[in-house]
Amino acid sequence: MIAAKNTSWLSRTPAGWKFGTLLAISISLYLISSWQVLLALLLVSIATLVSARVDFKQLRMPLVTLAAILAVVLILLGIQTGWLNATIAVLRLLTMCIFAYSVSLTTSFDAMLELFQKVASPLRVLGANPAQIALALSMAIRFIPELKRVYLEVREAQHARGLGNNPLAVSVPLVIRSLKIADETAEALDARGYDSAPARHHRL
Amino acid sequence: MNLPQIQLENVTVSYDDRDVLTNLTLALNEQRIGIIGANGAGKSTLSRLLNGLVLPTTGTVRVGELTTAKHAKQIRRDVGFVFQNPANQIIMPLVAEDIAFGLKNLGLGKQERQFRVADTLAQLNITHLAERESHTLSGGEQQMVALAAVIAMQPRTIVFDEPTTMLDLKNRLAFQREIARLDQRAIVVTHDLEILEDFDRVVVVTDGGIGFDGAPDQAIAHYRQWSHA
Repeated sequence: MIAAKNTSWLSRTPAGWKFGTLLAISISLYLISSWQVLLALLLVSIATLVSARVDFKQLRMPLVTLAAILAVVLILLGIQTGWLNATIAVLRLLTMCIFAYSVSLTTSFDAMLELFQKVASPLRVLGANPAQIALALSMAIRFIPELKRVYLEVREAQHARGLGNNPLAVSVPLVIRSLKIADETAEALDARGYDSAPARHHRL
Repeated sequence: MNLPQIQLENVTVSYDDRDVLTNLTLALNEQRIGIIGANGAGKSTLSRLLNGLVLPTTGTVRVGELTTAKHAKQIRRDVGFVFQNPANQIIMPLVAEDIAFGLKNLGLGKQERQFRVADTLAQLNITHLAERESHTLSGGEQQMVALAAVIAMQPRTIVFDEPTTMLDLKNRLAFQREIARLDQRAIVVTHDLEILEDFDRVVVVTDGGIGFDGAPDQAIAHYRQWSHA
C-alpha cells in the first residue's frame, strides 16, 4: 500500500519518529502478557488509525486478508497451546498490524526512502550504496504491477495459440520482455539524470 | 528562450560491424524539428545521439559548446527525452514522486522540488493525477506524466521518440497540443506525419543517412514517394 494524500497529524510527524515508535511498540507488545492490557492497546491502535484519517477503501482488502490469517493462527494456536495464549498472540499481531497501517498510510514513499537511506548509511563502510538500494526498492514496488500485466498478456497470447498453461511457453517470453523493460528503464534513468553506468555506444 | 545549436559532425554509429548511421552531418537550430523514416532507418539512434544516450562510434555531437562524448550528464540536463513507451520511463510508484525524481537528480531542495512538481502538473492540467499510483494510469495519462517529468527539469530541448505511437486519437491530439504549446525546442521522431505539418523543419532518415532535409510539406512528399518506390 502506498500513502495517498493525507493531511492528518500523523502525516505531519517525521517518518523517523513514526517508524521508531512503531519499532518500540512492536517490541513492547511481546513483553506484555495481559490480554486486558493488549485489548486496551488494540483500542488505542484503532483510535490512532481513525485519527490518521486514512482511506479505508485502501484498507479493505488487507484487513480481510489479515482477518483470514489471524483466524487460522487463532485456531492452530488455540488447539496447540490453549485459547488464552492464542487470543493474546492474535491481539499482539492485530495491534501491531493496525499501528503499522497507520504509519505506512500516512508516510509518503519518498519519506520512507529517505529514512531508509539514513538508516542504511552505515552500510557504506561495507561498500554498499544506500541510495541505489532505495531506488531498487522503489522500482521493485513500481514494476511489480507492470510485470504482472506483462505476465497476463503473455499468458493470454499463449492461450490464443493453444499452448494452455505450459510454463516454458510463458516463462521464456516473460523473461525476454522483462529484460527489454529493464533495458528501457535503465535508459530512462540515464535520460533523467540518474548517476548510473556510462552511455552505451550503439543502439538500433 | 536562447536555444543552443545541436551539431552532428561526420557521425557514424556502428553496431555489430554494421553502420546504423553513416557519416552524418547536421545542424539543428529550429524550434520544431521532425525526424521521419522507415523502421530500422536509424531515427531512434539519431534521436538518442542528441542527449548522449548513444555515443557516436566516430564523429562528434555538440550541444552548444559541449560534446556528448565528454559532457553527456550536463547535456542530459539541457536535452530532455520522452520515450515511446512511457510505462518504462516512469520510475516511482506515485506520480508526484516520479516527477520529483529527476529534480532530485538535479540536486534541488525539497521545497523547490515540490514547487516545480505542482507547477508542471498545473501547466499540463494534470494536477488531479499527482497522488495516483503510476501503474493505474491510462496510456494517455502515462505519456502526459512522462512529459511532465521532463518539463519539470526545465531543459531547453526535448526529444520525443515516437511519442504518439501508443495513444488513441483523443490522447494523440491532446499530446500534439502540448508539444505545440512548449517554449522549448521540440525534436520529434514520429511515423505520425500530421504532427509535423506546422513544424519548421523535417529530416527524412533513409538507410542510415539523410534522405531529405527541408520544409515539412516537401519532406513528407519525399518520404511518401520514397515509401511507394
